[in-house]
Amino acid sequence: MSKLFKLLSLFLAIGVVAAACSSDSSDDASTTAAPAETTAAPATTAVELDADGSLLDTVIARGTLNCGVSGSAVAFSETQADGSVTGFDADYCRAVAAAVLGDADAVNFVALTASERFTAVQTGDVDLLMRNTTWTQSRDSDVGMDFGPTTYYDGQQLMARVDDGFDASSTVADLDGAIVCTNAGTTTEKNIAEAAELAGADIELLAFETSDEVYETFIAGGCDITTTDGSALVGRKVKQQPADQEWVIFPATPISKEPLGPTYGQNDSAWADVINWTVYATIIMDEYGITSANVDDHVGDPGEVGRLLGGEGELQTVMGLSADAFHQVIKQVGNYSEIYNTNLNPVGLVREGSANAGWLDGGLIYAPPAR
Amino acid sequence: MSDLNTTGVEGTVTIKPAPETPKLPPREWLKENLFSNKFNTLLTLFSAAILLMISRGLLSFIFNPERQWGSTSTNLRLMMTQAYPEEQYIRVWVSVAVIFTLVGASMAIWNAGSRVTLRRLGSFLLSSGVVIDILTLLAPFSGQAKIIWLIIGSAVSGAGGVLLRVSDKDKDISSLTLVVATLAAAILSLWIVPFGHHSFVFERTPRSMAETGTVALTTKLPWTIMVVIGILAYFLGKIVMNRFPSKNLRPTIIGIWFLTPPTLLYLVLRDPDFDMGHVLNTDIPIFLIFAIAGGALLSWFTRPTTGEIGRVCAALVLLAGFGMFFTPMRMIIRILMLLLATFALAAPTFAGDSKTRRRYVLAWLGVSGIITWLVTAVNTPSTIEVPGDFFLGGISLTLLVAIFTIVISFPIGILLALARTSKMPIFRILSTWFIEFVRGIPLITILIFFSIMVPLFLPKGMELSEVSAIVIGYSLFSAAYLAENVRGGLQSVTRGQHEAAEAVGMTTSQKTFFIVLPQALRVSIPPLVGHCIGVFKETSLLAIIGLFDILYIARNVIPNQTEFLGSTRENLLFVSLIYFFFAYQMSKASQRLERRVGLGER
Repeated sequence: MSKLFKLLSLFLAIGVVAAACSSDSSDDASTTAAPAETTAAPATTAVELDADGSLLDTVIARGTLNCGVSGSAVAFSETQADGSVTGFDADYCRAVAAAVLGDADAVNFVALTASERFTAVQTGDVDLLMRNTTWTQSRDSDVGMDFGPTTYYDGQQLMARVDDGFDASSTVADLDGAIVCTNAGTTTEKNIAEAAELAGADIELLAFETSDEVYETFIAGGCDITTTDGSALVGRKVKQQPADQEWVIFPATPISKEPLGPTYGQNDSAWADVINWTVYATIIMDEYGITSANVDDHVGDPGEVGRLLGGEGELQTVMGLSADAFHQVIKQVGNYSEIYNTNLNPVGLVREGSANAGWLDGGLIYAPPAR
Repeated sequence: MSDLNTTGVEGTVTIKPAPETPKLPPREWLKENLFSNKFNTLLTLFSAAILLMISRGLLSFIFNPERQWGSTSTNLRLMMTQAYPEEQYIRVWVSVAVIFTLVGASMAIWNAGSRVTLRRLGSFLLSSGVVIDILTLLAPFSGQAKIIWLIIGSAVSGAGGVLLRVSDKDKDISSLTLVVATLAAAILSLWIVPFGHHSFVFERTPRSMAETGTVALTTKLPWTIMVVIGILAYFLGKIVMNRFPSKNLRPTIIGIWFLTPPTLLYLVLRDPDFDMGHVLNTDIPIFLIFAIAGGALLSWFTRPTTGEIGRVCAALVLLAGFGMFFTPMRMIIRILMLLLATFALAAPTFAGDSKTRRRYVLAWLGVSGIITWLVTAVNTPSTIEVPGDFFLGGISLTLLVAIFTIVISFPIGILLALARTSKMPIFRILSTWFIEFVRGIPLITILIFFSIMVPLFLPKGMELSEVSAIVIGYSLFSAAYLAENVRGGLQSVTRGQHEAAEAVGMTTSQKTFFIVLPQALRVSIPPLVGHCIGVFKETSLLAIIGLFDILYIARNVIPNQTEFLGSTRENLLFVSLIYFFFAYQMSKASQRLERRVGLGER
């Protein structure tokens, strides 16, 4: 009896395997009577992608926005202790969801590694990439991505100890003979090597797998310089500078340009327009000082504000959105300054005087007019 | 594998007492073992110095005020289940309770636990007290903390010393009592000691996610209930075993252990949103047709008079099963057809009188019913809403992938081993090629292939979630290695056993399943358990393909939270402790299993 039982459990195991591998074929999905059957292990609802239609219709039909984020980028997209995703990039995902679906919480955040992010867009796993992705020529053309308006102008900088004779006016040429720590396999590694070669400085590069290892080594004195995007350097300086050291970030003009913003699949104008104008709406509202707190009082305003917040509504409805789409964005998420300040002020990044100030304040954040 | 499970986490096995070695007084023992000659003395001092240095380094790391242990305690939930919603957490606790119940019942039914003499306990307490004192002296504590810990250490060794003096030579205590006492102490500490502040409150408005202390509050009561449930299950198991002793008790528990992981995952944790109308007009009728037709067919196959024609028909069923599996139709039909084919093929082995046949048909009904239920559950949308692809992460994902991989790769591995040692050239060559091919590829390649490439190859309309794809890939990889371990066991079964089985008129499959495999698997226990531990630890490679397993969370996610920049080392230390806990328990379980089957003794 017990041997019979053992054999049966073997069968059962095989059966369970088959069950776990099960997935439904297309004919099931197309019968309308059957409920939307998902696959083996859970969580993604299959939505038929219409070859001709825009992703916009797909997202509206699905009711959630699949937004690709890093999930482990300080202040841009952090996974919090309860599993939720917050940060600057995450807030722009929520802004797009508020515009398209009227609900900022209708976002399914998909954490992606750097290597799988573009595949995820191509296979349709995510509708939108908000994963501090630098806008470059090859990605725009060869990789098959389109880029939206830049939401954060970053640039690679260096950080050193004041004791070692560096100050804010130091340049790459002063690096001669220094040991430089950075993350392995990223463009920062290439950029610093290139910059050092141009400046005629002879440096030794040490590359580490994670950022934390870089700063552990830097604090312990294993290297003279660390280098990565300026935004990350500021955060580390604020949080990790030991009492007995003083760190300085230089040069004032970054050694590389890293414009970060939304990224999506190419040749989908309707979808691109929606994302671009969601970003522009947050910028325009910031120019007028309309915040999530006072947006309700400005709905009937004349001019650009009124048009964006609803107005006659045809500016929005012609894009396939509801008339109050951008009203919802500002109300549920906030304008550019609000998004920036809630997420980036805690790590020591401020808008004033940086490239991310509004164009009226000498920065680069600018939006075309809404009319 | 089942035996491994059933011995449970803290179960122990009755051991025959080893022949008593004469006990030396401590001073002579030291002299005999550590300071017997000059070289030995030097070696002892040298290694003691190194040990002390390592302990001191570790302690000054752990108790350094700069260490952000708050990053670990605040993110405990993230490390356990990632984003599983808090209001659904009762499902996690129900799952833990089921496992505790099973562990408790299994321990009762397998007579787990041994007797520990009070003297042994005394000397253990004495030495641990001394260790605590030494560590306290090494640690960078403030004066007051140092004194408190010194007092604790001395109290522990004092208690040990008293126990050692007072107790009789033969007085002993059940090891289970000790385990329960330890657990109770741990639970009590949850109620008394404030283990950090476990809260998700953020200064940044409007992001406050939980009130201060909620997590600490929500874990102490559930854990208390869990331990009580485990103890109750143990006594219930004892009562059942004494009142209604039955030969079927152990097989039943083994079966429940096998069913537990898929049931907990797909029905409890995932909470499928069943569409009753669809279930009533599609799933249940399909099951009934298969149950009745299949039952009739199997009843005919198992009739001893059927003979060769039955085998031919069984082969036809198998062909039909394969044909249907690759034709687009309802998944449940394809799976049941394959299952029926497997049953049909094995039917001649179970041919016999009407009682045996009835049992076989009943088994078919049971297995196909469970499979139908599972497939329906898998294909029903979940109500659990979490960010990302999969609703579990952290240690749950690690354990899930490990358990499913081990359970799935076992039958595949055994079949591969049988094929490789069989006399049929096609099976042998195919199996050899498969094994050698898979063993020639690194695991990470297979994982990347299955996570990124396989979804692109699937035909339109067929979907496979990343986790399922990875479990399949990992199982194939693990099966190839497992097959080689089993093959070693198969080759150790002597020719005489084969011949004896043939002499009593057994068919090849009877010989294989009842004579050869049991002996082969018994011999392969040590390498098989080693393999299981390897599978468990290598799930850490999931971090590379970006799944939120516990290592990824500790290394990439937590150190990138604004509050906890630079907390990698704390979290890595914690995660390594968790890995050690599970791997060590598996290793202990295998040692008990080896003793139970008498490996190395006969």
